[in-house]
Amino acid sequence: MSSPRPSELGPDLASTPPSDVPAATSAQPRRARLPGLVPGVASLVALLALWAVAAALTGNPQRLPGPMAVAQKLAALAASGELWFHAGMTLLRVALAFVAAMILGGALGLAMGRSRRLDRWLDPTLVILLNIPALVIIVLAYIWIGLNETAAILAVALNKIPVVAVMLREGTRALRPDLDDMAGVFGMSGPARLRHVVLPQLAPHIAAAARTGIALIWKIVLVVEFLGRSNGVGFKIHLLFSSFDVAGVLAWSLAFVAVMLAIDLAVLRPWEARANRWRQDAP
Amino acid sequence: MRLDLKAKSFAGRPVLGALSLQVARGQRIAILGPSGIGKSTLLRIVAGLDRDFDGSRSVPERLSAVFQEPTLLPWRRALANVTIPTGADRAAALALMDQVGLSGKHRHFPRQLSLGQQRRLSLARAFAARPDLLLMDEPFASLDADTAGRMLDLTAALLDASGAGLVLVTHDPSEAARLGAQALTLSGAPARLV
Repeated sequence: MSSPRPSELGPDLASTPPSDVPAATSAQPRRARLPGLVPGVASLVALLALWAVAAALTGNPQRLPGPMAVAQKLAALAASGELWFHAGMTLLRVALAFVAAMILGGALGLAMGRSRRLDRWLDPTLVILLNIPALVIIVLAYIWIGLNETAAILAVALNKIPVVAVMLREGTRALRPDLDDMAGVFGMSGPARLRHVVLPQLAPHIAAAARTGIALIWKIVLVVEFLGRSNGVGFKIHLLFSSFDVAGVLAWSLAFVAVMLAIDLAVLRPWEARANRWRQDAP
Repeated sequence: MRLDLKAKSFAGRPVLGALSLQVARGQRIAILGPSGIGKSTLLRIVAGLDRDFDGSRSVPERLSAVFQEPTLLPWRRALANVTIPTGADRAAALALMDQVGLSGKHRHFPRQLSLGQQRRLSLARAFAARPDLLLMDEPFASLDADTAGRMLDLTAALLDASGAGLVLVTHDPSEAARLGAQALTLSGAPARLV
């Protein structure tokens, strides 16, 4: 018998440090409690400093305003209530398009992963959709459906559906056949199988699709608003673009980046942690 | 349960020949034979997992199975692993977990249990379905003699208590004898029951 390779020992055994460095082992729990927080904050501070230096060197607040100028602008927008209304409209569109894309793309990916035949029929369409530029779908949706909310949401969702479908198709192909057999013998109902057997296996793929999805979707929502809506962050950026107000553009986009980060930290990460509880060794 | 099989083949290659199998409630049979002969294929046909065969099959409403591996849902706690697939209520599931020696383990996730405990959980799940017919595919094959012996006694006791029929696939005649199952041997190519 050959000895197991390091990768077969599992992460705990393979990464155990040599016994003559006790400092490293005692630091382990503290690092586990603050996963990447210190380097994350430090890199943000460094980025802000770089920005401030660049703004000072440029010496042209019209072209590149400093962090303070943008922060003041942001405070004024928040105080007037304008920030909450437009960010709220954008967030609503992001949420609707996200939910539609995850459900439709997820169902499509699941069906294509399960059925080879369906996959052969739909795969070319999927590849075409994946390669149509977002802008083309948006313009066509506005022309065919009209300059309304339905067209806006649909255009965003259509951009995201093929990406979700592809990611979940790969996940579905890797589903465990033994659990399928178990569910079959015990006669589990379709909804019960989906909830207890299929979706938990797809959870990592759903989380990945959700994370890349939310990042992609809010960028596309801004384009949709820029081109054909009369409220939302994209609409505000359109107005500020015509007056070359860089401080305003930066204030709006930073505000929305903060919102999306908050969603990632407050919603996506806790959900992932909950979905991964079963991987722990101790009860 | 009644199966009248005319033939079963994989990609044109015949695996199982004509055979018929009949198991009433309370009746126990064991299918013996060397590995690769088609025992598991036959069991999959009985279980309804393989419907691509020539012949007819009628089974009771409540089937359940113990697989070669525990085949648990790793993301559900032990108790949920018994109740969710079988529809058993909490009290019945807890009682069965007690019987297989898993008292107090109902909040554990499968990977927090030892392999032996996982197998006993899989046994509890099979009986929680209150089966008319229990299918077992080499459930003791990878166990050491002691553990296999305890699992066999446990299975025999639960079978007695529930009155379920049994189709056991194994390569070990002594397992069949210990469960009081009538031994049938699968042999030949394509394989038939003798």
